[in-house]
Amino acid sequence: MEAAQSDPAKFDALYELQFERVYAFVATRVRNRATAEQLTSEVFHRALANLPGYEWRGVPFAAWLLRIAANAIADQFKRAAREFPAPDDPPEPAADLDLQASEIRAIEHRAQLFRLVGQLPEVQKQVVYERFVEQRSIREIAQRLGKAPGAIKQLQLRAVQNLRAQMAGGHG
Amino acid sequence: MAKRSLAEQLDEVLQAMLVSLRPRPEEAPDRNLAALMRVAQELRELPREEFRATLKSDLQRRAIMSEGAAAPPARTGKAQAGAVHYQRPGLTSITPYIIVRPAAQFIEFLKTAFEGVERMRMPAPDSSIMHAEVAVGNRAIEVSDGNEQYPTAPAAVHLYVDDPDAAYARTLQAGATSFYAPTDDHPSGDRWGAVKDPFGNHWYIAKPRGWTPRPEGLRSVQPYLHLREAHKMIPFLEAAFGAEAMGVHKSSEGAVLHATIRIGNATLEIDEAHGEFQPMPCHLHVYVPDTDAVYAQALRAGATSIETPQDKPYGDRAAGVKDAWGNSWFIATHLGR
Repeated sequence: MEAAQSDPAKFDALYELQFERVYAFVATRVRNRATAEQLTSEVFHRALANLPGYEWRGVPFAAWLLRIAANAIADQFKRAAREFPAPDDPPEPAADLDLQASEIRAIEHRAQLFRLVGQLPEVQKQVVYERFVEQRSIREIAQRLGKAPGAIKQLQLRAVQNLRAQMAGGHG
Repeated sequence: MAKRSLAEQLDEVLQAMLVSLRPRPEEAPDRNLAALMRVAQELRELPREEFRATLKSDLQRRAIMSEGAAAPPARTGKAQAGAVHYQRPGLTSITPYIIVRPAAQFIEFLKTAFEGVERMRMPAPDSSIMHAEVAVGNRAIEVSDGNEQYPTAPAAVHLYVDDPDAAYARTLQAGATSFYAPTDDHPSGDRWGAVKDPFGNHWYIAKPRGWTPRPEGLRSVQPYLHLREAHKMIPFLEAAFGAEAMGVHKSSEGAVLHATIRIGNATLEIDEAHGEFQPMPCHLHVYVPDTDAVYAQALRAGATSIETPQDKPYGDRAAGVKDAWGNSWFIATHLGR
């Protein structure tokens, strides 16, 4: 933290540590990829701008970031409600961050899963991104990677099995 | 029916999940299937790799630019003392030389938009402007209608002003079009807006935020070059002009996100051309202690000659070269006559 305050270029080290956590938190609440990206970006830009004002008052850095995220999400709901008012709008989420322990565990779990995808063998990782992020069909992925559809299904299985095994390992 | 493999079973429920359909019930699902599907459910929210990387590089650019802006002053020897003997009074080591037509109207734009003060105007026989100087803040911009040797070339300039919002509004009134209004969200960390004037020049209108200008004050005017293969410009400037890169910040792929480069007592900025900010080969006026030596160095560094060093009637020894990006550099030494 102090490194990032005295040298903003070191902010990227913090980014590496915190990106998945912030994204997992935001994505859990907004459920729309474009909005999740926009809000995640907003959180980090706000954090960078306010870094010199961040003081260690018993609030860990991750919690500070999630508070910024909660505010950004609340602002987003307000904007959306103004632009597209609907009688059945869900109540605005409170900007006050009062996360339940179970929620924190869920966010950490998801963030850890996202990080582990980056450590998968390259071709398994590719299949995961193609399938889950790009939502391509097995046939399409097979064509793109020059493999048989059966091989892609196997890679998909191996990737998910790997992730599950590592998540289970991580939690003892 | 033969029991289907786990890979097949997983793919079927996964496909159903991705298209939000209910899968047909598996007769005897593999006992691991449910646990794997819980992982798969979460993977639907996986962030895009490209987004993660792009945001990181945006943040780096922003963090880095605010760091660069706050860098301590460079030690430039004589330049610290203010006026330097080889520079024409009122000019510094680097001055943008903006050749646009009609130059007279452009000068009016500088006065209206940036409170420019016309210091000199030398008409050509056909009553066009051969050369003019307009003070903007504590620096100057040189202006001309140009000629065959030095043709029209709008430039990009980074201006520091006291009130960027007011200056931005004035540029629009004077006919400029907006790239974006001044914002506190610019990667530099400064309050920063951008416009294109009716003559094709880009103006990046800024005010420092979160850093204190050097004791000698802000450099009000800095040429800003958007370049292809910007990283190659740095060794060229070092070799040709003895320039010093004060802060070079690159993406992980090696592209220059932003660099501030000092020649003598002035700086210019470069970056890799991107989006709306594409290369605009322009003219730059550089005062150096020895025009002949720098002209020779520039040619050795890969520049081509526009004109060889000559004593000019206005009291400078001057030469011209063109760099590999198409920018023209007027190299000059003020002879004090």
